Amino acid sequence: MPLQSILPQLFINGLIAGSVYALAACGFALVYYVVKFQYFSQGAILTIGAYIFFLFLNLMGLNYILAAILSIIISILAALTTNWLVYRPLRKRKAGGVPLLVASIVILIFSSSLMQALFGSSTKTLLLSNQNKVFTFGFLTITLFQIAIIILAFILFFLLFYILMRTRLGKAMRALADNKDVAQIVGINPEKIYNYTFIISAVLGGISGILIGLEQNLYPRMGVLIIIKGFISSVIGGLGSVPGAIVGGLFIGLVENIGIWFLPSSYKDVISFSIMLLFLLFRPQGILGVRMRDDN
Amino acid sequence: MITDFFISFSTYVIIYIIIVSSFNISFGFTGLVNLGHMVFFGIGAYTSAILTLHGMPWYFALILAGLFTSLIGAAIAAITVRLKGDYFQIVTLGLVFIAIAISRNWISLTRGALGLPGIPPIIKDNFNYMLFTFLVCVICLAFFYWLTKSETGKIFQAIRDDETAASILGKNTYFYKVLSITISTFFAGIAGSLFVHFIKFVDPSIFDLDFFVIILTMLVAGGLASITGSIIGVVSLAITSEALRFVVVNPELIGPVRHMSLMLILILILIYRPRGILGKVNV
Repeated sequence: MPLQSILPQLFINGLIAGSVYALAACGFALVYYVVKFQYFSQGAILTIGAYIFFLFLNLMGLNYILAAILSIIISILAALTTNWLVYRPLRKRKAGGVPLLVASIVILIFSSSLMQALFGSSTKTLLLSNQNKVFTFGFLTITLFQIAIIILAFILFFLLFYILMRTRLGKAMRALADNKDVAQIVGINPEKIYNYTFIISAVLGGISGILIGLEQNLYPRMGVLIIIKGFISSVIGGLGSVPGAIVGGLFIGLVENIGIWFLPSSYKDVISFSIMLLFLLFRPQGILGVRMRDDN
Repeated sequence: MITDFFISFSTYVIIYIIIVSSFNISFGFTGLVNLGHMVFFGIGAYTSAILTLHGMPWYFALILAGLFTSLIGAAIAAITVRLKGDYFQIVTLGLVFIAIAISRNWISLTRGALGLPGIPPIIKDNFNYMLFTFLVCVICLAFFYWLTKSETGKIFQAIRDDETAASILGKNTYFYKVLSITISTFFAGIAGSLFVHFIKFVDPSIFDLDFFVIILTMLVAGGLASITGSIIGVVSLAITSEALRFVVVNPELIGPVRHMSLMLILILILIYRPRGILGKVNV
């Protein structure tokens, strides 16, 4: 098939993958922006969200809306627990970026071992996945869940912007991100805002975990693979910028999926990492041109 | 039975000591948080495996594994140590996923996900092989002790503590950072070669982050910038992790539970004792 006729399909696939990456990336970027560390354990939240959804939907037979709400609540609890047990004590002892980074990677790998211990290492399929409808328009094929992913992702991006730009909470977050000391002087309690930040990113993480579970099935390492892409998106868009993470996610999704026309599909990871490396070397501020961090 | 177990356990511990103390050279002494250190272990393993499977004698393969690994390490370091702050860690973490993708897809060389079985052992008898790895380990440790006491080692530590000051004093910090990565990846490659001739099999899972987290726990538990600390860290955690075999009844759970307990130990050390057992600096 010539490239022209398959291009729309590759574009749609890229848009779907890109929305997933962007969803994972914006939770990561939000925490990086406000709390200032590389929040890899967003991948753990994502895995937990997906597996809890599986537990309620498949094993306990709950209604899917109820299962989704419960798994988002548990994702939030998981994020708050990691903050409470690990990140806050580390911040309290004034740890630099490295311990926080190491801790977040460890929590990420921990979640995959935990899911392996609890649910086994085999791939799980969500019950809802059977009810997927396929739509065909000429050369183009897209499933119901893929449409849902794109629409939901854009609704969530819009809500996130609304919170960041139009609410008091968003204002406090931006103030903390700009200058923590000054924010504290005007009466913003950083720990409280950090908790809200973790909650918002956990909602994003839980929802994207469920969507990814519906689209690609569940396996213990899913969080690791997705958050790495989210993280690459975040670097390419501009580390520490929420709009950057979304732009970067969509960009990486499109480039990977159009790139596999030229390369074997398993080289997707190499494509995105090479692009990240090029960005780090020649444009470290990312697509949207975020100022580079100079505090370590 | 018991002696077989003891011999293979000791061999693992000896190889881990080499890999962890080589990691300490870049992470602990020079302050370069190379999150892709285990990639170089894997490159050493693959190099040695491929060379001996093509009929090269093991001593060539062992040395070439070290040299080739350090060559790649030097090339990567030459590009990446200039990156500021977090970006060095980010790129080195990225190496893990690039290595996995390449080893899975370069089928003609690595047989992809199937892995390379039937790697010839260096010494057939396990007890003698343990003695051999012990000998190599002693040579490596002697070099590490010498290096860290030497002027070069002092410059590494100066760069870790204050890079600007080190460069004001006329030290070429870029050169020494690349040198540090080159040395530490050389020994990672040697350790990879020793490891692969012991387990006689290699596949892309050697690059997995799970393995890296174990090495990292051993390093941080022993303490940064202390070779003795690394030895103690490896031995104590290896014993702890083996002891879990007697606590966990379900054989399917041993792997994940071991991993999780090591990770919990790492988190606790990060929070309550960032210097580990003998460390000179905080993580």
